[in-house]
Amino acid sequence: MAEVGVLCRKELKDLSRSRAIAMLLVFLSAVILLSVLVAAADYRVKLAEYTAYADALKAAGGSPTPPPNLFPLQMLRAGIEYLEIVGSLFAVILGYGLVAKEKGSNTLQLLFTRPLGRHAFAGGKILATVIVWLVVVAALFAVVALAVLLAGRAQLAGQDFLRLAIAAAHTWAYFIMWSLLALTLASLTRQPASGLVLALVLWLVIVLVIPQIGDTMDPDNQVPGGLFTSLQIDRTNEKALLTHFASYETGRDFVEQTSATKQYERAVFAYLGVKTQYNQVPLGAVWDATSHNSLWLLTTSVFTVAAAFLSTTRETLLRKLP
Amino acid sequence: MSVWAGTIRQETVAARRERLPQFLLVVFLAMVAASAFIGSAAKGTVTAVYQEAVREGLTSAPNPFTTISPLYYARNTVIYIILIAALLAIVIGAQSTLRDRRARTIDLVLSRDVPPAKYLAAKLAGTGLLLLFILAVAALVNLACIAVATGSFPTPAQGARILALFGVAWLFLIPFVTLGMLNGIRCATATSGLLVPIVVWSIVIFILPLLGTAAHPVSLLNPVSKAAPAESGFFELTSAVTGPLSLGEQFKRTTALILEDPQSGGTAEGGLLVLLGFFFAACLALLVAGPSHMRRELHG
Repeated sequence: MAEVGVLCRKELKDLSRSRAIAMLLVFLSAVILLSVLVAAADYRVKLAEYTAYADALKAAGGSPTPPPNLFPLQMLRAGIEYLEIVGSLFAVILGYGLVAKEKGSNTLQLLFTRPLGRHAFAGGKILATVIVWLVVVAALFAVVALAVLLAGRAQLAGQDFLRLAIAAAHTWAYFIMWSLLALTLASLTRQPASGLVLALVLWLVIVLVIPQIGDTMDPDNQVPGGLFTSLQIDRTNEKALLTHFASYETGRDFVEQTSATKQYERAVFAYLGVKTQYNQVPLGAVWDATSHNSLWLLTTSVFTVAAAFLSTTRETLLRKLP
Repeated sequence: MSVWAGTIRQETVAARRERLPQFLLVVFLAMVAASAFIGSAAKGTVTAVYQEAVREGLTSAPNPFTTISPLYYARNTVIYIILIAALLAIVIGAQSTLRDRRARTIDLVLSRDVPPAKYLAAKLAGTGLLLLFILAVAALVNLACIAVATGSFPTPAQGARILALFGVAWLFLIPFVTLGMLNGIRCATATSGLLVPIVVWSIVIFILPLLGTAAHPVSLLNPVSKAAPAESGFFELTSAVTGPLSLGEQFKRTTALILEDPQSGGTAEGGLLVLLGFFFAACLALLVAGPSHMRRELHG
């Protein structure tokens, strides 16, 4: 156990000194901050348009509808999407780097001359990954909360902080999954670059291609502004209508569910109220509706922890090139 | 054999041996083939939803998909070009220059009477030709799958538009090839040689459009154009600045016009000019900034 701690400390020290990792994280924070600023600006533009419309209507003797509400956590939609796309890419880079740097600098041979336990090396790397992402995600969500409060000029209630904490926990599991997947592949392949190749192809398919297929198959996404809006069909009738196409929707949903990114997105969007049907809904009700998404994400993350633990051994790491 | 012919031949032979481009190529061609069938499934469902809505008396609006052209089925291909082919272009470009540095063949090549800029231009030509071949194959796959999905071959005019789509795609992808090549020349390690251009790609494709239109990153994966941004205040200013730099959105807008998307407006000239501007600027940047760093040592 002590050797796991030593290896973990060494890894954390290396990561804290890595300029590339620091730059990537600053970049991610900046992108999230920017997305909140843009969402706040977008809200203000819509509010200004509403005010102009309401003034004109009042002048004509009419009574306008209530102004659009600002739900602060909904401003995080783009930020969360950046975490799921760009953040996962950085997680792949971090995980791959944990093994690639050892293979590249030939420190593996030296390391394994020591009497290390069979899984001590993997244990140290996994523990370091878990700690690094815990710290980074905590910092990122602190930036998120500050951005909403200061840049978005919104107020957060106690319940909102809890929702942010739940979103942060999902993000933590999501990043660990990607880093450990890349670490596993870099360990299993004789040349680490081949591991990076596989990890990037998987990233492309899981993060971009599968969600794109599901999104494109959605009938409502076939017309700008939404099919049902263009047909002037309200939400209740839309739902009733779609029951006739249950098998198509099930197929589309199945395609989306094969992507861990979609599982992450659905759960986090629900807790933050980004999806209208979950906005201001109590946390218990959100859990009832999306627990399968959270549990799938957790299962996938645990699976990658197990895969990294079992694959990152002396035998696989020191295999010679054919 | 001239420098041009030898280098072009070497580029095409060496690229065929690389595993990452092969993986990405398989994913790209598979998705180009699937795109027509995804479009067909979506169209069939929308038509059925509309008919059901009319039958239940829920709408009197006209069917938005009444007269749909076979070009509709190529819309998803545009997204796969932005996502997969752009990454493929980056990887082919980066591997092209990293290969020389890793094996130190660049020292040998430049010991001959070969001007570095000419050598780089020949490498770019080889990679560009390879990409052209890949896109030609993708165009044929796309045409064949559209024919299967619709039950009839596209007319010559429609076929020409699909070929034009892949022609514009080549213009769109070359800047990513040069980005990969340039970074492959200047990076310290092979990993950063691949990753830095991928980060730049993610900025161009996902972040710049947000600044100009407040479009959410995932919505950019949908080929259907979103509503136009507000024409006043903050977004008027930001879209004026970031709009021309949003290469992916320019490509989407131009190809939507080529594919006669009924929702697209304006003319294709503006987008084409931006794509051409990027094309020439990227080639120039490679030939100006590349030669001075070609013999740098690669650390890992």
